[in-house]
Amino acid sequence: MKEFMMIFIGADYTELGLSPEDLQNRMGKWFAWNDKMTAAGVVSHGNALTPQIRRVVGANRTVTDLTSAEVKEIVGGYYIVKANDFDEVEKIAEDYPDYDLGGTVEIREIMVFDQ
Amino acid sequence: METKLIDHLFRHHSGKMVSVLTRIFGLKHLEIIEDAVQDTFIKASLSWRTKQPENPEAWLTQAAKNRVLDIFRKLKTEQKHLPNFNQGTDAIALSDLFLDTEIEDAQLRMIFTACHPKLDPRDRISFALKTVSGFSIKEISSALLTKEDTIKKRLSRAKKAVQDSNIQFEIPKGKSLSQRLESVMEVLYLIFNEGFHSNKKEQLIRKDLCREALRLTQLLLKNNLTRTPEVYALCAVMCFHSSRLETKTSTENELLDLKNQDRSKWYWPLIKLGNTMMNKAVETNAFSCYHYEAAIAAEHLKARTFEATDWDKILYWYQCLNILQPMPSNVLTMAVICMQKQDFKMANTYLEQLKPEDFNQRSYLYYGTLSDYYHGINNLDKACKFLDLALTHVSNDLEKDYLIKKNLLLNRKK
Repeated sequence: MKEFMMIFIGADYTELGLSPEDLQNRMGKWFAWNDKMTAAGVVSHGNALTPQIRRVVGANRTVTDLTSAEVKEIVGGYYIVKANDFDEVEKIAEDYPDYDLGGTVEIREIMVFDQ
Repeated sequence: METKLIDHLFRHHSGKMVSVLTRIFGLKHLEIIEDAVQDTFIKASLSWRTKQPENPEAWLTQAAKNRVLDIFRKLKTEQKHLPNFNQGTDAIALSDLFLDTEIEDAQLRMIFTACHPKLDPRDRISFALKTVSGFSIKEISSALLTKEDTIKKRLSRAKKAVQDSNIQFEIPKGKSLSQRLESVMEVLYLIFNEGFHSNKKEQLIRKDLCREALRLTQLLLKNNLTRTPEVYALCAVMCFHSSRLETKTSTENELLDLKNQDRSKWYWPLIKLGNTMMNKAVETNAFSCYHYEAAIAAEHLKARTFEATDWDKILYWYQCLNILQPMPSNVLTMAVICMQKQDFKMANTYLEQLKPEDFNQRSYLYYGTLSDYYHGINNLDKACKFLDLALTHVSNDLEKDYLIKKNLLLNRKK
């Protein structure tokens, strides 16, 4: 088994003007997805990220504070899952709830360095 | 573990939180309060994704308490006028404001604010749905079949009226209570009817409106001051109508009239609840419009088949209603009832009292009934003529389909 990271990009709830009812329905879909992954024993952990960004850039270590409104594609969260290959993770990612809000899932394999 | 929340938990809690926080900070800070509440639900929806709190409701109540401090700090840094918690005769400990009974009290205050006579009648529904019921602008616009921009305007006009008239966040007392309560009932019944009669293709939002109106009416019944026979009667009407909400359209989303509804699918628990409400409503002898409307709805529900309907009784209730509240639509309905009884002479007397102008945009109802009348007395030419008129005046798609179907049948007969 390998470990992969699913990175969720875009679909920022703060910018979309969702109602409490919308938010609850969205969350219900995340619950269902989480339940499914937990039942399959594939999920190891995950987190959501707040929309504040502090960016440090370049040799001068220039610091800028940004909010989600100023960033085109903000990373909103991630999950670490166990799987054999990319295809398996792709299958898992099919249930990501926020594609209809313009969200993207980026799948990356966690590097294990064999000596 | 299966994770699921109570239906509409967020929407309902949003209304509660806005009401309680408004009770603390006052209506003049409504905007800040609404933003803070919205922010809470966004954060909850993100952080609960991977780990749901054990008691979501307690979590939300705690979050609301935390917002008190946040808002307090925000107002302080902006040097805004801060509320004095110890002032006033009804000073109450801050933490007590989050007890269920006090939350309900705050919600009632918000309902009375939204239905205040100083607000334009058209703005009241939108404002109530936003602040009391936690609907978004988009949801209100889709529920009321009105553009989002119009809803935005209505909301800001309502907020301005609240500020300009310095409306107090309170449940009115003494003499003004009954008058203000009447306005509240009117708004709740309008919300209900928007849901019940809208015939919007999307069923879900319609049901939401009916359910919401019923929920708020039940909230009125929980409080001593607002628990009146009229409110019980209003609650009964809503229960009776709601019980047949599912049967109003066919699976193909065609409009079904009472004659063609599947009576076995009427929802009995609501009819039972309606009966209980009705019994409470008639404990005194003072009958309101809602009493008669409930009586009419109940009479329809009593009939096991359409043919078994007791039209004499229904006509009687309509006559009572029309004495209390004379309206062209009542007279039109009385004409329809007479036709059901094959009493075309009486139907004609009622129809002669009416003009198409009495019905504004709904003149198609008048023409449709005239068509039925002429059909009934075998004057097919006139029946066709009026059905054509009805068709040119109808705007709602479902109603139009219904009339077109009727027209086909009529033309086949000719």
